[in-house]
Amino acid sequence: MIRIENLHMRYRSEMGEVHAVRGININVKPGQFYTLLGPSGCGKTSTLRSVAGLETPDEGEISIGDDIVFSSSKKISIPPYKRDIGMVFQSYAIWPHMTVFSNVAFPLKEMGRKFSSAEIREKVLEVLSLVQLDGLEDRPAPFLSGGQQQRLALARALVKEPRVLLLDEPLSNLDAKLREETRLEVRELVNRLGITTLYVTHDQLEALTMSDVVAVMSQGEIIQEAPPHEIYQAPRERFVANFIGLANFLEGEVKAVPSNGQAFGEVRTPGGMIRCTLADGVGIGEKVVILIRPEDANLVDGTTATEGNILTASVDSVIFMGDTLECRVITGGQTLRVKLHPSSPLSRGDSVFLELPPNRCRAIRA
Amino acid sequence: MWFYAIFLLVAFFVLTPLLLLVLGSFSTASLPTDFSLSTMGLINYVKVYSDPLTYELTVNTAIYVGGSVVVGIGLAFILAWLVDRTNVPWKILIYAGVPMVIAIPSMLQAMAWILMLSPRIGFFNTWLKALFGMESTPINIYSLGGMIFIEGLRLVPTAFLMLVPLMRSMDPALEEAAAVSGASPMSTTRKVTLRLLAPGLVAVTIYQAMTALELFEVPGILGLPSGIYVFSTKIYSIVHSATFPPPYGQANALAMVYLGIAVITTYLYSKMIARTERYTVITGKAYRPRLIDLGPWRWPAVSIVLIYLFVSVVLPFVVLLYASFIPYLQAPSMEAFNHMTLKNYRMVLEYDELGQALWNTGIMVLVTATATTFLSFFISMVVVRSRFWGRRLLDQLAFMPHAIPGMVMGLAFIWVFLKIDFIPLYGTIWSICIAFTISFISYGTRTMNASVIQIHKELEEAAYMSGARPWRTMVRIFFPLMMPAFAGVWIWVVLHAVRIAGTPLMLYEGSNNQVLAILIWNMWDWGQIGGVAAIGTMLIASLMLLTVGVRMLGFRRHLN
Repeated sequence: MIRIENLHMRYRSEMGEVHAVRGININVKPGQFYTLLGPSGCGKTSTLRSVAGLETPDEGEISIGDDIVFSSSKKISIPPYKRDIGMVFQSYAIWPHMTVFSNVAFPLKEMGRKFSSAEIREKVLEVLSLVQLDGLEDRPAPFLSGGQQQRLALARALVKEPRVLLLDEPLSNLDAKLREETRLEVRELVNRLGITTLYVTHDQLEALTMSDVVAVMSQGEIIQEAPPHEIYQAPRERFVANFIGLANFLEGEVKAVPSNGQAFGEVRTPGGMIRCTLADGVGIGEKVVILIRPEDANLVDGTTATEGNILTASVDSVIFMGDTLECRVITGGQTLRVKLHPSSPLSRGDSVFLELPPNRCRAIRA
Repeated sequence: MWFYAIFLLVAFFVLTPLLLLVLGSFSTASLPTDFSLSTMGLINYVKVYSDPLTYELTVNTAIYVGGSVVVGIGLAFILAWLVDRTNVPWKILIYAGVPMVIAIPSMLQAMAWILMLSPRIGFFNTWLKALFGMESTPINIYSLGGMIFIEGLRLVPTAFLMLVPLMRSMDPALEEAAAVSGASPMSTTRKVTLRLLAPGLVAVTIYQAMTALELFEVPGILGLPSGIYVFSTKIYSIVHSATFPPPYGQANALAMVYLGIAVITTYLYSKMIARTERYTVITGKAYRPRLIDLGPWRWPAVSIVLIYLFVSVVLPFVVLLYASFIPYLQAPSMEAFNHMTLKNYRMVLEYDELGQALWNTGIMVLVTATATTFLSFFISMVVVRSRFWGRRLLDQLAFMPHAIPGMVMGLAFIWVFLKIDFIPLYGTIWSICIAFTISFISYGTRTMNASVIQIHKELEEAAYMSGARPWRTMVRIFFPLMMPAFAGVWIWVVLHAVRIAGTPLMLYEGSNNQVLAILIWNMWDWGQIGGVAAIGTMLIASLMLLTVGVRMLGFRRHLN
């Protein structure tokens, strides 16, 4: 539904030229919820605004449905108001001089004489009830709370039933609790309408909980594009693992690759040999980092026989966090964070055995 | 592309007059528009600078500007200090009353004072003479002193409106810190208060000096009859001199100096403003200053205010009102009151020229205000919102007329309209509209820039995403959101365009483009004092109503 090919964007600033977007390719399928995730300045917003037509890329091609809306080679650039897109802005951009009703009716009225005023009224009220703003239609827009303004912005974006919905960090101005609720509401609403959605955020939790596909961006490029669970469990690069969730990294060198029927390879680390999943194409002798999430590592009694990797370690610090106990242990001179049940009886200096289940360890190129 | 259209339009109307002004100053042809390379020379400059009168003129101008700035800032400082830092009573009267002075056109202010203090007919002069049995009348308003007095009074309201926020932005903790450190009140004032106020005070002073330098009406009414010239009036009198053709080239050469001085002061002003803002960053937090208790001095203090308001608003208005009801000029007496008549009003209302002038003024004011508002808006949209390569330059072009005195602007536009004679603009009301619009876009764009910046870019983008074309976005989003700025600029232009006489006088050709300000000027010249008083009374009354109305609607900041 949204196809972006080889998108390049450069800005001229006082600091010289900034190459903000460097050859991005995206294909969002109809009905998909596609998220661009990355730190600020990674080019995600520039990409979204190029789809909207609010920025003009230097190179590449963008199409929505079967229509090419931008192409540098074919010299096509459809202005934003002809692209049939609904968009929610970070600031919501609710027009303060209009009522709730007129804000939502605006896109319909701009479509020319397509609708009678009775039809407009019907459509507006319908979409307002969809976002649970029933009964507020006559209120001046500035008299809404932050959460209501956010929903009004969504209603305005949806009212003309656009082919594509663009969301530019729509939840970042809400407080934490409201953000959590709204996250689910938006996802549910978009699911129900089956509208193709391109979402931009720097919040990993939003990306993981809402998306069908997440594309992690850094410095103008897409580093990895995959469904949320794959992004979390099988990050392809250290940047991705680090940006999403907490991650431990153990440095080492590959000693054996999986052979006939075996699932795991072997990596030697200063703390001992570790069996783990090797990322595609990693060969013997290569320097790697082993990624393991804090919740996947365990401290065990040395006598228990397991399939796992058991390393000796010493406790460096213990931090009580309410629902968990975060314990830092040192093994082979490298520090790891481990999440434990809060009742675990541990104190600084204890000698412990660290279990790293092989199917939870993943070696990627250093 | 409309960006280019706006850019070229502004560039043409700002740069062409200046270019023709410069070329004309070197031209020795009898009409400056006839210049060619062969008639270029420095003769105009030689004539102007070998004339000892030019030096007298410069000295006069310096005394007039310096004197009126001292009077104006001094009074304004006292008033601002009283309302902001002391417990002087009746503050609301001061806040509301001082800006009222702006509603009285300076030309009428000067005329009213002539009625009071002219050596021959001045009411006060004749009273004083009778009272003390003097040989001659004691005060002569047709003098540099008279100009300084009246222009000083007129500078007060704007200076007051600039000084109050300046004082308010100063944290009294800084003064208290000095007091705690052992400084006496006197040395606290000298070493802390005045030092902190200095950059802002200097900026206000330069601004006021520019205003006084540029103003034509007061030196025109008071100086021309007695042959005391300053820059603005000298240029006027060269262009309107008896020789034919007038020595236009010399007017241009003189205007170049005048323009040079104005440009330098504008530059200094913008430097000072930048510095003031640096100070404000340090001290710009909200607080309520501790008010100084004036004790028994409260009543003498408030009487200063009352005297100022009486002298600069009440007295001139009452004098014009009185003069408008008496059949011939005489000092107020029982006999004069018995002869009160509506004759003057009847006369002016039956006067054909007045109808024509009112019609012209109406058209001129409406067209100028509307054109300035829209042109400023479109310039600001390009400057603030576009990525057009010339946006910075456009901003500077739009600001440039701020440094050009009205008389120089009027003179420069004479050449423009004579040069582009294929469009018959010279001598029409449109010539005044164009010259005024170009003069006022510097104010208009400053206001509009600030206003456009405040409209979040996403409000505009959301309209595009809703399918609105650019012009629909302007009509549905920008216009309603910017209504206060539009109204503010529009009314500001109306209030100014209706009373400025300088530029229209330069472009005046006859009853075709005679506006109210020129009519008043001419009637005064012909000695139609009763008629002037009647028109003046009605004009001041309507301007005051407009000022009050605007204040009630909340556009206070646009009035200074």
